[in-house]
Amino acid sequence: MLKALSTRLLQHLISQNSWASNLLQPHAGKSLQINVSFISASLVILENGDLAMAGETNVPDAKVTIPPSLLLRLLAKDEAANRQINIEGDTQLVAELAKVFSNMRWDYEDDLSNLIGDIPANKIGTYARDAANSVKETSVNLAEMLSEYWQEEMPLIAKKRHVEQFNAEVDTLGADVARFEKKLAKLTKSIKANLDNGLLKN
Amino acid sequence: MTTEHNPNQDGNQNTHFGFKTVAENEKAKKVGEVFHSVASKYDLMNDVMSAGLHRGWKRFAIEISGVKAGDKVLDIAGGSGDLSKLFAKKVGADGQVILTDINASMLAVGRDRMLDAGLSVPALQCDAEKLPFPDNHFDCVIVAFGLRNMTHKDKALAEMQRVLKVGGRLLVLEFSKVWQPLSKIYDVYSFKLLPFMGKILAKDAESYQYLAESIRMHPDQETLKQMMTDAGLSKVDYYNLAAGVVALHKGYKT
Repeated sequence: MLKALSTRLLQHLISQNSWASNLLQPHAGKSLQINVSFISASLVILENGDLAMAGETNVPDAKVTIPPSLLLRLLAKDEAANRQINIEGDTQLVAELAKVFSNMRWDYEDDLSNLIGDIPANKIGTYARDAANSVKETSVNLAEMLSEYWQEEMPLIAKKRHVEQFNAEVDTLGADVARFEKKLAKLTKSIKANLDNGLLKN
Repeated sequence: MTTEHNPNQDGNQNTHFGFKTVAENEKAKKVGEVFHSVASKYDLMNDVMSAGLHRGWKRFAIEISGVKAGDKVLDIAGGSGDLSKLFAKKVGADGQVILTDINASMLAVGRDRMLDAGLSVPALQCDAEKLPFPDNHFDCVIVAFGLRNMTHKDKALAEMQRVLKVGGRLLVLEFSKVWQPLSKIYDVYSFKLLPFMGKILAKDAESYQYLAESIRMHPDQETLKQMMTDAGLSKVDYYNLAAGVVALHKGYKT
């Protein structure tokens, strides 16, 4: 039952993003397995460019394994996290599906309009967007306020320029240590050579 | 399913008809009598028996079919035409759906329903074991709740494979083997409640007793998958619906 519901949801999203069908159609019949920790789901591309959940005995053409620790970073669109995803099999298929999922949008206003009509759906959509923007703005303001407080009033967080200065000092120190190591190695080598030649005594 | 076809005293082959054993040439006639008897109340009974779930199962089959505008679809044992109606909307004016059934009474119900819905779907009475269509003709062939009534399932599957185009799909929606922990409850439902409902709603307990028995005699998920593979289909996969009460098998002609 879960597969039937998920398939309907996927196909509904594809129908709202009709460009996706054209991208997926050349891969018809292929399937992808996504593993996140102990949860696994397999998707199959249908002949009409739709997506569906794969059956019980499907053999995937590609496997994507995402460590649970990466999930938050992926949700925050951290590009570096993408490189840590383990991909096996048909990489072109994975790239195409990644493109589809990252650009897919749910047109909830359209769905709502089928239930309550265009004008109320548009009003609710506007309120929802305003509310989301307001939450976003408030979150950013709160974060800025807290960071300022922790930087100026109760220094718990370092300022950017202080971090940069610290990084520069660490780099200088690293370079100095490397130079010192080289000089030390050179000196050790020279002393050892002199000892071997009897120019110096132990 | 090893007892499906055994020779009788006259040297002819026997097959099962529910839990009974009958001569092969009698099975189609007996199945015909069952469906002739239930035709007028078939959909009502399906709704009652499955609590309306059969509509969801059929819709899922359409979603998995991958059928698009312009495709040619063959609906085998399509009876009351539920699937043909949905497919006709999918394939649009450029596509074609053909509704077939071996049973004239069931086909008449489906044909009338198509006409009432304003759909131009040809309805054709034919035997799935001898399909009157050329090779490599259809993009999708579907048989829903019909395969278990066929005398030679292997021949029928081979015929379905024959009429498919390369890249075409065969979908088989059929009762299957339920998840083991539910099997006791399912038995009580099938052999006690189902014939009782048949008696009350369709005044025909015997036909519904046959339906329950034929479900038990039908191959399970893995056996049917193997049969489809043997018939020449590839990448055969199946979906268990309602804990395996029903399974949807899909295979490709390559």
